[in-house]
Amino acid sequence: MTSPPRIARGLAALVAVVTLVLATAFAGCVVVPQNRRYSVADPLLRYQTVGVDAPAHQKLSGSRAAAAGGAGTPAGGGCACQ
Amino acid sequence: MTSTPALLTLLLTVATSTAPPYEIESVRLRYTQFHQTGLGYQSAAGPPGAPGSEWARVEQPQAEVTARLGERITERVWIPVDVVTAASPDHSRYGRPYDAVDTVTTASRSTPSGTVDTFTTYHWDRVTDFTMRAAFHSEEPFESWIVGLGASRSFAEDNTVVGVSANQILDWFDHFSLDGNRHGRATRSTTNVNVDVTQVLSQTTLANFSYGGTIQVGTLGNTWSSVQLADGSRGEERLPGHRLRNAATGRVAQWLPWNGALTLSYRAYLDSWGIAAHSSEGTLAQRLPAGLTLRANYRIHWQSAPGFFTIAGDPAGLGFRTSDSDLGRLHAQTFGGALLLDLPLARRARDLHVDIGYERYLRSDNLRVDVTTCAVGFRF
Repeated sequence: MTSPPRIARGLAALVAVVTLVLATAFAGCVVVPQNRRYSVADPLLRYQTVGVDAPAHQKLSGSRAAAAGGAGTPAGGGCACQ
Repeated sequence: MTSTPALLTLLLTVATSTAPPYEIESVRLRYTQFHQTGLGYQSAAGPPGAPGSEWARVEQPQAEVTARLGERITERVWIPVDVVTAASPDHSRYGRPYDAVDTVTTASRSTPSGTVDTFTTYHWDRVTDFTMRAAFHSEEPFESWIVGLGASRSFAEDNTVVGVSANQILDWFDHFSLDGNRHGRATRSTTNVNVDVTQVLSQTTLANFSYGGTIQVGTLGNTWSSVQLADGSRGEERLPGHRLRNAATGRVAQWLPWNGALTLSYRAYLDSWGIAAHSSEGTLAQRLPAGLTLRANYRIHWQSAPGFFTIAGDPAGLGFRTSDSDLGRLHAQTFGGALLLDLPLARRARDLHVDIGYERYLRSDNLRVDVTTCAVGFRF
């Protein structure tokens, strides 16, 4: 049976490769001119992970669940609750 | 001494150079209250052999100021303060023979904690930004230092943005045994790297993919959580000294033709303790007349437990063990809503922002958290 650390390392490598492939593949595949991007520039489509406007439930998912991190934030550390 | 004139020249240059213009861009104040009820096996605040109380309340005022220094630097200073009641299990309320860490730290009664978090963005050129994060967190038995560096670059006329960042966190805290004795200080190191890709898919659709890898080394528990043992007594929690954590998130945001927006996201998580998790979240926002916006959100989270999770540990066992309900197999749902008001102003400030919101977090082990929040802010 494959041990959990091995699975975790495998997943990390897989995700890193997928990220690089997506970054390379997406770059330049769609070019929407700046004057037609007013909808995607709207603040309603923005998602903040740190600061006053980060969703309140993010504090709960960081401190009251075993699975934190992602979206540019560390998983754990910085708080006695973790 | 040739170095003395050089030093004097440098000091003179620094003293006579003018600071870049300093301009406040926005000021935000928020107040949030978390009210938690439920039972967990790591808490000794209950009858022998049964889970203890996890009742707690957190009052969280926050302030955030964003300023621009000259043409290239943007600085954000964020100060959240948490006042936590019952941060650790209060045995004394239930007449337990020992009072655990409460007698030493008073953490059960009230623990104020605060963070100063600064985030600086340097605009290198039209497509490249460099970022730096520096933060300090303090609470009664705990201090934490956080530093981070990052870079982002946009491609294809800003249709694609690729970012990378790294963070290092050092935690330094009191180490307690369950009888309330203090055994010096413990440390924990958290090293984190992130990769992030944002892509414009169409005139109304935005996609984002991110991966975060984190390695933690040191004392990974809070040292006062107890473990329920098979004979009805309680023992100390024992956790591995390292943990590798992986989280990958995909998000799609769609602008809706009736002045609204829909955001959907999925996150997969796996760590070296054998915990796997899946989280999905949806947010629907709708602009209304008079500067109002109505927002509703729903999130579901499922996680598995590590192999050493137990609610009936072997009293003579020497291996890893935890009864922490946060590490248990569970699913959790969060749903909520918010009303936001953005009003343009004619004088001094560009606009006023006010919002009020409520969220409820419900877990399959009966933990429940009610979150109420409100904010006021100005953009200049």
